[in-house]
Amino acid sequence: MASTTPPSSGSAQFTLFDADITMAPKPFRNPSHKTPTRRIKNSKQIVSDEIKRIQSLPDEARTAALVDTPTYMNVEAPPSVVPRKWWCDITGLKAPYRMPGNGMRYHNKEIYEVIKHLPPGVDQQYLQLRSANVVLR
Amino acid sequence: MATPVPDPEAAAAAGLIQEFPPAKLYPLIELPVPQFITPAADYRAGIPIVLDLGTRQTRAGFATDSAPRFEFPTQIARYRDRKILRTFTLIGSDANLDANTRQAAKSPFDGALVANWEYLETIMDYVFVKMGVSSQGRIDNPIVMSEMLAAPLAQHKHMQELLFETFSVPSATFGIDALFSYHYNNGSNGLVISSGHETTHVIPVVDGRGILNQSKRLNWGGHQASSFLLNLLQLKYPHTPAKITPWQAEMLVREHCYTAPVSYGDEVEHYLDRDDGFDERNHIIQAPFTEVIAPVKSEEELAKIAERRKESGRKLQEQAAKIRLEKLQQKEQELEYYRHIENKSDQVSAKEFKRLLDAEGLSDENELTKIIKNLDKSIRRSRKQDLGDGEEESDAEEMTFPLLDIPDDQLDSEQIKQKRHQRLLKSNYDARMRAKAEKEREQEKKEEEERKDEEWRERDLQGWIKDRRDQRASIMNRMKEKQRLKADLNNRRSLASQMRMKSIANLASDSPNAGTTTPTGANSAGSARKRRREDGEDDGFGVDDSDWAVYRDIANASDTEEDDEMAESIRKIEEQLMVYDPNFSLDTSLEAQNNWMNSLVHAFLRGSRPFDPSSRAEAHQLHLNVERVRVPEVLFQPSIAGIDQAGIVELASDVLSRRLSKNDSAKVCKDVFLTGGYSLLEGLDERMRHELRAALPVDTELGIRRAEDAILDAWKGMRKWVNEEENLKNHMLTREEYLEYGPEYMKEHKMSNKALV
Repeated sequence: MASTTPPSSGSAQFTLFDADITMAPKPFRNPSHKTPTRRIKNSKQIVSDEIKRIQSLPDEARTAALVDTPTYMNVEAPPSVVPRKWWCDITGLKAPYRMPGNGMRYHNKEIYEVIKHLPPGVDQQYLQLRSANVVLR
Repeated sequence: MATPVPDPEAAAAAGLIQEFPPAKLYPLIELPVPQFITPAADYRAGIPIVLDLGTRQTRAGFATDSAPRFEFPTQIARYRDRKILRTFTLIGSDANLDANTRQAAKSPFDGALVANWEYLETIMDYVFVKMGVSSQGRIDNPIVMSEMLAAPLAQHKHMQELLFETFSVPSATFGIDALFSYHYNNGSNGLVISSGHETTHVIPVVDGRGILNQSKRLNWGGHQASSFLLNLLQLKYPHTPAKITPWQAEMLVREHCYTAPVSYGDEVEHYLDRDDGFDERNHIIQAPFTEVIAPVKSEEELAKIAERRKESGRKLQEQAAKIRLEKLQQKEQELEYYRHIENKSDQVSAKEFKRLLDAEGLSDENELTKIIKNLDKSIRRSRKQDLGDGEEESDAEEMTFPLLDIPDDQLDSEQIKQKRHQRLLKSNYDARMRAKAEKEREQEKKEEEERKDEEWRERDLQGWIKDRRDQRASIMNRMKEKQRLKADLNNRRSLASQMRMKSIANLASDSPNAGTTTPTGANSAGSARKRRREDGEDDGFGVDDSDWAVYRDIANASDTEEDDEMAESIRKIEEQLMVYDPNFSLDTSLEAQNNWMNSLVHAFLRGSRPFDPSSRAEAHQLHLNVERVRVPEVLFQPSIAGIDQAGIVELASDVLSRRLSKNDSAKVCKDVFLTGGYSLLEGLDERMRHELRAALPVDTELGIRRAEDAILDAWKGMRKWVNEEENLKNHMLTREEYLEYGPEYMKEHKMSNKALV
């Protein structure tokens, strides 16, 4: 099925068969090595594993890791200490007002009208953009 | 979001319509066609392979190359074709080959971390295949790879395992991409700000070595920015038929977004104002669409159609005329027949005549004359219609009621009957006459009022204007009040809503107007009503006309008639004011206030031009205006996107003024270095200069520069680093060391992460 002559570099004329990597010869792989199965972890799990690993270190090393050595956790930027500014949730302009009820920020009375007539749930979608939505559990 | 519906007629009436030059449109960029990468033919063992594994793109090449051999998006698509029972594994841009594989494309990364090592292994396979590696059972090349700052140890361990076990490399090393980029740009003391696809790092570098424990990571990069923009656009145009892919959103950020040069607040302050620059600030993105073209008929065809229509119309008219004529003839015949019978009344005896009438189903002679009269009338009318003259049939001819004045006892039974009939007719006639007189009086009154109004206006213009303005204001207030009430009714707990429920309960209850008494039960309602009727009691409902308003109040429906009435009266008053009030201008009129030209929302959604909802092209247009500054601003104010972290300026100034020694800080300030794909944002260096200048002491020597090539410099730095003899000899982790110390061992050098114990 695969075309006999491989396409030239930079060519846009090639098929799934040419591109498929499973069939390409891979002589460089170590034939005696067996890959462990299922090595999938999402980033949350990776981070919590890292936290566990550091906590299980011997005391001296742990203190060093927490204080001096950069770890994934302690290089994370801290929360801001400058006063927060508010911007209109819909337009992004200056927002001197706050909608009672859902807490959306808005620019002027025209935007107020828009917010008032938003379909149900859309206000929460706007708030979700800045993680201020109400999450029901 | 609700779009204010522009009313072109209103705009025309207000004289506000104007011609617009064609808008500048930016096309939505399509995904480029993937290009095939042929495996390298000049593979040689021993030459280091430089591999920059990024969350967005992966670049690879030999240390002898001046630029990476190839770069491809770090993605993998596994797609099973059910027809031929084969699973395809496609890497990089190959995954964009067709729609099925494009959908299946996934990244091995979750955020900035490698989540799926199967995928990553396949991607590494792909890299080595394309590098043309031909050694057997192992890769005979040292590997230099990039790594994120302070990656969890497991990441590092897995990667080393992969290289040394699966691929059996002789030696390998890892380093931070941002530091390599800085190395390539000949930096030794500086603050590296590297903004990539998933993260932004702030790393101070002193004497060529990164001060990693003073470094910070902000969880915001090009990927988050583009999905933020995508979300904003989806909320801005919830009903648009245009579809934007994440890749296209990324391109929109790259092409159209820029950093506010001084401060975000200043930049957006007048962003949506309709001044000369608005068209330049407002970028219109045109998504592809197919125009629905209505088939256009030629002149000839149109003429033919018109002719045919005329023809059929004429035929119909003829037919109708024929039917009318037939009816007319029939009626004439009938008339003749009845006349004939009528004439007979003189010739035959009364008895004979009565029999004739009976045969016709008529009770007496009067009925006959009535029939004749009616027939005569209708014949005359239809003749007139045929002739086509619309001469009003005067109904108002003086009617006479001769019998009414004669007392009953002088009349026979037949005449009494007639008299009764005439009385009825007369009262009817009188009523009509009264109505007519009433109408005339009203007309006169109106004219009189108008005359007085005019007099007043001439006498006291200011007073008149004030009166009209007051009227207008009061109607406007009423309209507003109505709107408010309507809005309140939507809220079940509002006062208006509760009042409405009260009226409903009151109307349904046994004893109206006694809100305090509670209904005893549903079945008692019917009997109570009956009882009330028996008692003959009346609650007086309906004596006052306004009582009925209670039904309108509880109906909770929009009263369009009243709304129209109010709008009409406002329009009338405004017309008068426009003529006579020098201070009343077009801009102050209600229509102008509702005009799209003055609407901020319209400027935000549709730019400076009117919106034509019927246009397919305009339906597929997206307007980028405030978003162009709003999206990049998240780097400076992460709170905009709900990220509870300090912005890059805060991080940088914190490092410079608090965390570094005075001596180091002074050196580092001289060279603030921007690298990474997302740092290519227009104006980012200017903004950094401005903000850091404000944050640092006055006499600080401040230098800001960008990487030569923010995307490729990390790879080039890695190449430069590995080409330095000492590095290759001393700083690579060799296979022997790996086997001795295990996969968690990390060999430190100037570019690397700190070893995590």
